[in-house]
Amino acid sequence: MSIIEVSNLCFSYSEDEVLFGLSFQVNEGSFLTIAGPNGAGKSTLLNLLSGQLKAGSGSIKIDNADVQSFRASALAGKIAVVRQEFVPMFGFSVLETVLMARVPHYGPLGFESREDRDIANRALEATDTVKFARREIGQISGGERQRVFIARALAQDTPVLLLDEPTSFLDLHHQVKIYDLLKKMQIEKAKTIVAVTHDINLAAQYCDEVLLLGTNGDYYKGTVRDVFAPETIEKVFRVTGFSGRIGAEKFFLPLGEFARDRPGKTT
Amino acid sequence: MGTNKLLTGKRLAGRVAFLLVLLVAVMFVCSLLGAESVSFKKVFSSTGSADVINPDYEIFIQVRIPRIVLAAIVGAALACSGAVFQGLLRNPLADPYILGISSGAGLGAIIAVISGFNWTLWGRSPVAVFAFAGAIGTVWLVWLIGRLAGRSNVTGLLLAGVVVNAFFSAVIMFLTSVAKSDQVHSTIFWLMGNITEEEWLVLWLSVGCVTAGVVALFYISPQLNVISFAEDDARSIGINTIAVETIAFAVAAAITAVAVSLSGLVGFVGLIVPHGVRLLFGPDHRQLLPVSAITGAIFLVVCDTAARIVVAPAQLPVGVVTAIVGGPFFLILLIKHARKVGRLVK
Repeated sequence: MSIIEVSNLCFSYSEDEVLFGLSFQVNEGSFLTIAGPNGAGKSTLLNLLSGQLKAGSGSIKIDNADVQSFRASALAGKIAVVRQEFVPMFGFSVLETVLMARVPHYGPLGFESREDRDIANRALEATDTVKFARREIGQISGGERQRVFIARALAQDTPVLLLDEPTSFLDLHHQVKIYDLLKKMQIEKAKTIVAVTHDINLAAQYCDEVLLLGTNGDYYKGTVRDVFAPETIEKVFRVTGFSGRIGAEKFFLPLGEFARDRPGKTT
Repeated sequence: MGTNKLLTGKRLAGRVAFLLVLLVAVMFVCSLLGAESVSFKKVFSSTGSADVINPDYEIFIQVRIPRIVLAAIVGAALACSGAVFQGLLRNPLADPYILGISSGAGLGAIIAVISGFNWTLWGRSPVAVFAFAGAIGTVWLVWLIGRLAGRSNVTGLLLAGVVVNAFFSAVIMFLTSVAKSDQVHSTIFWLMGNITEEEWLVLWLSVGCVTAGVVALFYISPQLNVISFAEDDARSIGINTIAVETIAFAVAAAITAVAVSLSGLVGFVGLIVPHGVRLLFGPDHRQLLPVSAITGAIFLVVCDTAARIVVAPAQLPVGVVTAIVGGPFFLILLIKHARKVGRLVK
């Protein structure tokens, strides 16, 4: 069953048409990666899906209802958004940050209930962030902070998680750790995961389906095997490279002009 | 310190109660200090006989107490709204005057002084009434321009505030340069922030307004926490950011306008008190707002007492004292918590 249904979606920033005629569905409990070159409209699409932007035409349905028809609090019960990690201005603790997801559920005096605290604690445990729950959010590393942001999204207790480049500034260890965590949430908690990423090799290991957006309005949607074909990648990203396979994992390595093994390079 | 333990209702109530007791104690002590020495015993010794004037009673009830209450209201309003503006704009340099309230109120005040009006409205002088109107009008104007400018809400507002501030300040300078010298003197006192005696009716009304404002802001403080973290996140967490921001701006501006119309432009309180409270107690607005309000009240009562007695029998504008006392005090806090503040201002 599809939980997100996008049909004939168009969007433009004043003169700039970013998306036109985009249609796809996301099945409940599946893991979708959105990839594509800069300016293809990945983040725009994410903002449309989370209701922060309004579609020019076409429709986005979450659980069979238009995304714009939800009140803010109702939509927040369906979709949680994880943005790229950043250091906030004021020094909230990790636990305080995660508890923010429960603010719409607070009592009239503005304090969390026992249940809110339990939900936050479970989110901390799931993301392996309990050990620095009392630390300030600015005092932990970028990878840890990204996990805290995911913990907050989990504490929102939604069926869908949207992530905008969750691993962009992280080292290899933390990249893998974030994707492991997301996959675990998909398997154990039946979450639907939609992640925008530039790291197609890592995403290919974890996701079920790929939506590849091109810059001129074309797009490819399907399984990793179908969409991440070397020809498609080379065309959409305008690169040449080497594609290979190790065991079950496919990978694509872009090769620049000065690469020693660039195809067609005479040595 | 404050960030290590999660805030509970009980803990918050305890701290607020303690600070309220401290505030009352400070107000009591300050009411006994002054150019004329007043003995607390004498104040209430002969109130029964109406025909005998008891100077201690007169000074205490008609002069000292009203002025101290006034300082407390102004301090509470400025500190609380400063904390709100810093959080809303996610900008540690923000203060209650950042959106042009000060210049709007200043312009209103100087127009009232120059035109030499001579009437009162509910016990308020034309200067106070014009300053209040100028403050509210300017915030409304800045809010409107910020909205029309579109972009990210915060950048538009800040830019509109800066430009309106600069423009009105220029008009103030112009009017000052064409005004008569006695008018200039009273205007400058007003612009520096000056607390004087007020009637009890005015005081009670102001106490009511400011208290209601602080309570209203406390009511939306969990939402302010998320907005001070990031506006986008607040929206996707399910907070109606437009409603919360509008209420917060309106209430913070209103209590600032009340404060400004009472005392002129008292600087520094709205900037340093919220920072000091944040350094000691953490950034949670549920605690930051009430604690800032009470601490701001204590701070301004002390500063105004100093303004009364340092050069007695003459008096200083309290704004001079807040800057002279507050500046170094804040720097000490800053150095002590250098690492924390480094991140705060990044």
